[in-house]
Amino acid sequence: MDACLSVEREQERLSKKYNSLKEHADSSLTELINQISNIQEELSKASKDDEVSPLQLHLLNQSSRKVKDTVSKIATEHKELHGGISKIGKAVDRNFVIDNTTCSQPGVFDGENASLLNEVLCEHLFRQGRLDIAEQLIEEGNLQLDDSRKEPFTELNRILEACRERNLDPALQWAQSRHMELKVRGSSLEFRLHKLKFLDLLKEGQHKEALEYSKHFARFASDHTKDVQQLMACLLYSRTGIGNSPYASLLDPVHWLDICDVFARDACALLGLSLESPLQVCITAGCVALPSLLQIRQVMQQRQVTGVWTSKEELPVEVDLGPQYRYHSLFACPILRQQCTDSNPPVRLSCGHVISRDALNKLTNGNKVKCPYCPLEMTPSDARQINFY
Amino acid sequence: MADVKALEYSTMKVPYEILNKKFRAAQKVIDREVSLVVSATNDLTNSLGTVPVKVGEITGFLDGVVQKLQSLKRKSEECLSQEESCLRHCRARLDHIKEHADERKSAVILWKKKRLDRMLVDHCLRSGYYETAIKLAKDSEIEEYVDIDLFLVSRKVEESLLRREIGPCLAWCYENKSKLRKFKSNLEFNVRMQEFVELVRRGDKMEAVRYARKHFPPANVDGTMTKEIQRAMALLAFKPGTSCSPYRELFDLERWGQLVMQFRRENFQLHQLNDQSALAVTLQAGLSALKTPHCYQAGHKSPECPVCSHPLNILGRPLPYAHCAQSRLVCPMSGHIMNENNPPMVLPNGYVYGENALRGMANENDGRVTCPKTKEIFRVDQADKVYVM
Repeated sequence: MDACLSVEREQERLSKKYNSLKEHADSSLTELINQISNIQEELSKASKDDEVSPLQLHLLNQSSRKVKDTVSKIATEHKELHGGISKIGKAVDRNFVIDNTTCSQPGVFDGENASLLNEVLCEHLFRQGRLDIAEQLIEEGNLQLDDSRKEPFTELNRILEACRERNLDPALQWAQSRHMELKVRGSSLEFRLHKLKFLDLLKEGQHKEALEYSKHFARFASDHTKDVQQLMACLLYSRTGIGNSPYASLLDPVHWLDICDVFARDACALLGLSLESPLQVCITAGCVALPSLLQIRQVMQQRQVTGVWTSKEELPVEVDLGPQYRYHSLFACPILRQQCTDSNPPVRLSCGHVISRDALNKLTNGNKVKCPYCPLEMTPSDARQINFY
Repeated sequence: MADVKALEYSTMKVPYEILNKKFRAAQKVIDREVSLVVSATNDLTNSLGTVPVKVGEITGFLDGVVQKLQSLKRKSEECLSQEESCLRHCRARLDHIKEHADERKSAVILWKKKRLDRMLVDHCLRSGYYETAIKLAKDSEIEEYVDIDLFLVSRKVEESLLRREIGPCLAWCYENKSKLRKFKSNLEFNVRMQEFVELVRRGDKMEAVRYARKHFPPANVDGTMTKEIQRAMALLAFKPGTSCSPYRELFDLERWGQLVMQFRRENFQLHQLNDQSALAVTLQAGLSALKTPHCYQAGHKSPECPVCSHPLNILGRPLPYAHCAQSRLVCPMSGHIMNENNPPMVLPNGYVYGENALRGMANENDGRVTCPKTKEIFRVDQADKVYVM
């Protein structure tokens, strides 16, 4: 945030300078024009062949000097703004990473891969229900996409479209007909749809209908007790408006955006598609990984460590994306600090601790091995190979 | 914040460069207007020097001064408000970027969604899918935060080059003369050279010589282009069908494509855009951070893992794997993390599953569990704890 603030400071400073220059230029030029117009007016009273009086001559000379001074001052002042402008640029340079391409390989997404990448984008757009944009991309990118890739999304999109127009009925219909499946998944979609519908009725002032509608909450009461209580309490404020009540946050339009997401996600799961858009997941992961990769890259460059990571290798640092982005088990031998492979599989010692086969061999002394984590001693043949995947 | 620093440099820098350019143009306009005012004023003061001064003689000069002052006033107002609107544009982008730190979680989610859309728009613009980009930007309401105008200008130039017209490109070179000179661009020279080649191709050799006489010497003040100019002049001796190198290469129509590429590169450089898109950079980092050897082994793929999913799997192939020094275990049965709350248990056949999944299965099957991998059946109390450090 500091980065943004320091740029903002420079922007504000410059903005003030622009304001004052604008005012100053305007007022001083208007004044000059008036002054000269006054002289003109005075002169126009005299006839053409009259001589200009010494006083007028003096005034004229004085004004001319003033005109020259003022206008060149305006030009100079404008020129001086450049300092403020380049300060903004410098603040951006200082606070943001100028070249973020240092740890990526150019050309990975070129050629044939370019259309594969576009396929990924298309699927992402389909998933979001942006059919027309996806179609446009197919057309401009010259993509050959099977209709079967689109179909599952067509019904979803019809429903999503309705949701965006604040019509929840198709979504409710869909969710109600899949009540059990959704329940098994632990999805709160159906309840959330009812909740929105209820709030919408309240907001429209249809209190009676809302009260009537609340019967739908009954079957969700056990899982969403608190929510239901809050919703019903909204009725207390139906006269003064929920907007002025402690429950104002329930009316946040963001809930409408949310419901579209929840719907898309649950529907994808029921259709056997991955929950999240693969592209979205990758980008989210990339946003976490990129800064640390850039940083380690910079350190490597400073220490002049030659040989950057190449395709076959691993990234030089561990990037923890959090548990929700773990899809595969990875076992790293705690002794050797490296990932186990088929040729160096994990083994479980009799005490239950797991190390890799290579580490076991290293630790073996004669026909005995002591567990590195507890006092137990055993023969190496007691260790059993295990499989995490 | 780290991701903002790593990714938003050009978001901030592009409008800054535009402001900078506008400032320069404005300075030129103001300087010119100021010099007009000064010369009009000088005319006036000169006429005052010859006594006696007649009223009729100076009214004309006075009119001139007033007129010039008014024109300066109008033009400077115009310039300043244009510059201010550029500054506001910088400001709008900064404000948008600041939203990443919004206290409401939903707002941040929305912001991240828009960030992905911005990346997609940028990718489409760079790939030349202008209509898709425009539609997407409009749909996502991010027009102000993406550089559509910039790319539309370059689109015009690129298309004209592909039609073998050099006018728009030369106009662009002229417009950005000072910047191009700063990074020693030879784009203009190359364009001129191409025009020369086309004249020779048409057999218009006299015109070609005239053209060369006019345009080559100014590009060769420092003598660095001598060799190329000599080669170009020698071209006059050859016919378009020649097989003699390097003249065959000079006649190659592919050179127009190279000009397009050079133009694109320099346009990016001019506006401080990186040569790889934010999408490409982030996606690479993300794919790497998620990539495990399992993503490429049959039988180990996970339906939720983006790197395992179809097009991304191929795209991720050339990239490095995630680094893993710390074990991360996921129960192959439930997909849940295995940790102290869901400890890993090994079955007698060596396969490891989470306790929760095994217990759940056992409860439904009289205490027996079936290994999903080998289909062997065990009693749940045959499972042993595994300690992973």
